[in-house]
Amino acid sequence: MNKKLNILIVAILFLSAQHVFGQEWTVPADKENVTNPSEYNLANVKKGKDIYQLNCKSCHGDAGKNNALPLVPVPPDVVSEKMQANTEGGLFYKITAGKGGMPQFETTLSEDDRWRLVNYIMNYNSKNEPVLVDAPPVKAKLLASVNEADKIVEIFAEYENKGEFVKLSGAPIIISAKKAFGNIELGKVLSDENGRAEFAIPENVIGDEEGFVNIVVALEENFEVVPVILDKAKVGKLKEVPKLIRGGEILWSTNENIQPWLLLTYLGAVGAAWLAIGYVVFQILKIRRYSKE
Amino acid sequence: MKKIESAEESRKLLDKITFDLTRSIVKKDEMTRFWFFILIMFIGVGLWGWIIQIDKGLGVTGMRDYVSWGMYIANFVFFVAVSLIGFLLSSALHLLKIDWAKPVSRVAEQVAIAGVALAGLIIVMDMGRPDRFLNVFLHGRFASPIIWDVTVVTTYLVISVLLFYLPLIPDLALLRDRMGSEVPKWKMKIYTILALGWNGNAKQYKTVYHAMRILMLLIIPVGLSIHTVTSWLFAATLRSGWDTTILGPYFVAGAFVAGSAAVIILMYAYRIRYGLKDYFEDIHFDQMGKLLVFVSLVYLYFNINEFLVPGYKMKSAEGVHLTNLFSGSFSSMFWIVQIVGLVLPIILLLCKYFRKPLPIAIISVFVLVSAWFKRYLIVIPTMEHPFLPVQNVPENFQTYSPTSIEIMITLFSFFAALMIISVLAKLFPVITIWEYAEEKGIDKKYLSETPKN
Repeated sequence: MNKKLNILIVAILFLSAQHVFGQEWTVPADKENVTNPSEYNLANVKKGKDIYQLNCKSCHGDAGKNNALPLVPVPPDVVSEKMQANTEGGLFYKITAGKGGMPQFETTLSEDDRWRLVNYIMNYNSKNEPVLVDAPPVKAKLLASVNEADKIVEIFAEYENKGEFVKLSGAPIIISAKKAFGNIELGKVLSDENGRAEFAIPENVIGDEEGFVNIVVALEENFEVVPVILDKAKVGKLKEVPKLIRGGEILWSTNENIQPWLLLTYLGAVGAAWLAIGYVVFQILKIRRYSKE
Repeated sequence: MKKIESAEESRKLLDKITFDLTRSIVKKDEMTRFWFFILIMFIGVGLWGWIIQIDKGLGVTGMRDYVSWGMYIANFVFFVAVSLIGFLLSSALHLLKIDWAKPVSRVAEQVAIAGVALAGLIIVMDMGRPDRFLNVFLHGRFASPIIWDVTVVTTYLVISVLLFYLPLIPDLALLRDRMGSEVPKWKMKIYTILALGWNGNAKQYKTVYHAMRILMLLIIPVGLSIHTVTSWLFAATLRSGWDTTILGPYFVAGAFVAGSAAVIILMYAYRIRYGLKDYFEDIHFDQMGKLLVFVSLVYLYFNINEFLVPGYKMKSAEGVHLTNLFSGSFSSMFWIVQIVGLVLPIILLLCKYFRKPLPIAIISVFVLVSAWFKRYLIVIPTMEHPFLPVQNVPENFQTYSPTSIEIMITLFSFFAALMIISVLAKLFPVITIWEYAEEKGIDKKYLSETPKN
């Protein structure tokens, strides 16, 4: 019985290994040379990078860092020869159809997004001029204040250009709320030609018990900037305080708000018992007095 | 009750009773020394374990984040349980005017004092910082069952000591008057001081009766609450196995089982060791056996309620707990405890033969040992299934097994309890002499006579 089972298990393992290792992932000829309808430019590559970060990075890792998950087979790095050996049509087919450990994205990503993803991968192809360049971060400065009445954050941004700080226009500014376990992003706003921006705090932001929110204003990662922290801005909704814990209607409570009947019962019972004990001790003393009679 | 008219006969009988019942005080042989040697040795080893624990912290025990109540708390519940017999035998049966219980009541009080004193001590030994013990009183919350428990344990200890002392006063006077060269001077000094100058006048007897009656009435609510409050320490939580409304009476019923067994064992030891065959008679063992059957049946009834009703429903968390008890890792302990500690004793003790001194003493040993493991089963399995997910912790956090330090300290508690009982037995008669003499028809006036020789 056991022997049979062992043979079966070995057979299944062997077959499934065949399935994984044995076959090359071939792309049907008609799909191989489909041309990419989306243009290879910065906007599309950037969009493709965002999609990659959300959907692919968890297995394939960061481009060029070779930090993919140790799966079998190992998901190839975006920069790797194995990845770049694919044609654009082949990449699109593989993303769409998936195989084995690689999921299909036909139902989760739109066709446009899948082509943008291909554009992102092609950024690292030797045939193309890379549009996505890792420039050293630019030094920048941020000023921000909060208008509590209108619930608006006003921002002014500058960046360093040839040793001088000039207005930073068209840069996305990230506004977040500081929470106990990290920041929660409230939204983004682009600075105008004067380097200024206004961000309206959404109505549903929850503050502390008094409605205070700690707002963090920052720039994207290609800027070197000290984030502005606006402490205790009264722009949020009041945090609801659970009534049961603060109220007086629970038994297990602190001495400050102990229920009177409980305290009286305790003190009454203990007092009565010790009064009786005291009375008995008094009787014992009486026995001593009676011995003189 | 027949009255002995002849003065000669009364004096003769009183002399015999006094002689027999003070044998435990006078007797001094190799056996006594050996017994105290054993006690002191184990107490010393246990205290050494406690010193290690204080030095190194509670990490030397098997208790971790999830199982934070281990063998110490199980042991605490056991000792509280055992001590409860004092209230049943020396108060409830006394007030019901059940005569056979009278000679047994001092034994019961010995057990009660030893049990409740050790219960208090074990809690201190369970603390990581015993030097902060006073904070319980200074900063305690009145809404916390732990404060109720500390209060009620202290109160019960005081009442038990008083209930031991009050009927002892006339005996102390008797010892003061009759024991001369047989006992060392320091003992005589203790008798003289504690006898309060008793001379046996009517007013004194009246006061003793009056005070005893008050104490007996007082100990009923206090005794009931000591173990009910101990059960609330568990029942006031939401944990499966503890979250039940019958835990109070369940604990009280279980306590009577454990305590009766302890008293029977002690009675048998005294009967053999001090030759008290005529005092702890077969009828006392027979009656104690019937009492044990009765309280065991009550306990069995609560056990059925405690396990059948949740076992019928098998609510998810409760189901995990019960499966673990019925067929899981605790199943052998559970079934042995239920069968050897409860079902078999009931069946056996229904036969008259098994209520004879030796058989019932042996059965009682099994009942008492099972009672200890029963407390272990109440505390530890529930702690092992917290409602929290047990994750990202070392493997030894998930289950509990006592360490040698814990076993040493637990052994200390057993031997310390035996030490208290042994010292009480070496100092004071194990049966109330004056009550017993009165029962035999000897007039009170002969008690306060100083013998001529």
